Amino acid sequence: MEPSSIQEPFDLIRLSLSERVFVKLRGDRELTGILHAYDGHMNLIMSDVEETIMLVEGDQPGVAPTVNVAKRKLDMLFVRGDGVILVSPPSRT
Amino acid sequence: MLIFSVFKTLTDQQVTVELKNDLSITGVLKSVDQFLNIRLDNIKVLDEARHPHMMAVKNCFIRGSVVRYVQLPSEHVDTQLLEDATRRESLAAVKR
Amino acid sequence: MSSLQGYVDRRVLLILQDGRVIVFPASKPNANPQGVMVGFDQKSNVVLSDSKERIYSIDAGVEEAPLGLYLVKGDMIVLIGELDDAVDQAVDLGTIHAEPIPPIRY
Repeated sequence: MEPSSIQEPFDLIRLSLSERVFVKLRGDRELTGILHAYDGHMNLIMSDVEETIMLVEGDQPGVAPTVNVAKRKLDMLFVRGDGVILVSPPSRT
Repeated sequence: MLIFSVFKTLTDQQVTVELKNDLSITGVLKSVDQFLNIRLDNIKVLDEARHPHMMAVKNCFIRGSVVRYVQLPSEHVDTQLLEDATRRESLAAVKR
Repeated sequence: MSSLQGYVDRRVLLILQDGRVIVFPASKPNANPQGVMVGFDQKSNVVLSDSKERIYSIDAGVEEAPLGLYLVKGDMIVLIGELDDAVDQAVDLGTIHAEPIPPIRY
């Protein structure tokens, strides 16, 4: 088997090691950072992380909800796999 | 197994554990088990004015399943080593 | 699961999935083996003697509700902390106003 070919979903993540990835998490959170490790639970270890949290306020009917975006930087981060919705490799353009 | 090993190498280092109830706790990592349950010593809750509930707690056991993030000391993480170990583990999983 | 061993016979504070905080009376520190974690098992189910719930609110001081002998299922536990008696008793709970801890959201 050609080791760099993509045969199953985790191969895509393996090929993203040491690259900047986009991660969508539960609770309206998103991360971008450099991927250094993962396992079968989708536990991740990433560095140089920027987290974006979307806070939706005002859910009364007739009022347009406002979305507040909070960002923060994290040096080195372990992310527990049960919160991961998707991992997207860097765009290769 | 890989991630468990990483945490074991970080024993006695300062980490910040962020829980799924939005509590953030900084402390010295004393031990970790296969479920990634974590024991912290000398703990401090971030934003103690808002979360005074743990003022008198000096060390704690955190259930792995309620952890959202753990902020790690980057100077004690060898990223090259991690990537190699991850590749090895993922290839071993395919062969199984 | 060796990590819980150190908490047997200690005064501990528990935070549960629904945000409740359970502690032990600290009126007589180290006087007798009352108000301590009695035991635990493989699934980190925990038995506590003479426990109390601490109820937090913004509008009023902390209220303590006695619960007695309690078995807490391991699944419900977020965190177990060892209390520093001296610090715990120096705090006048009646003056502490705080939001309850939010429940765990997966």
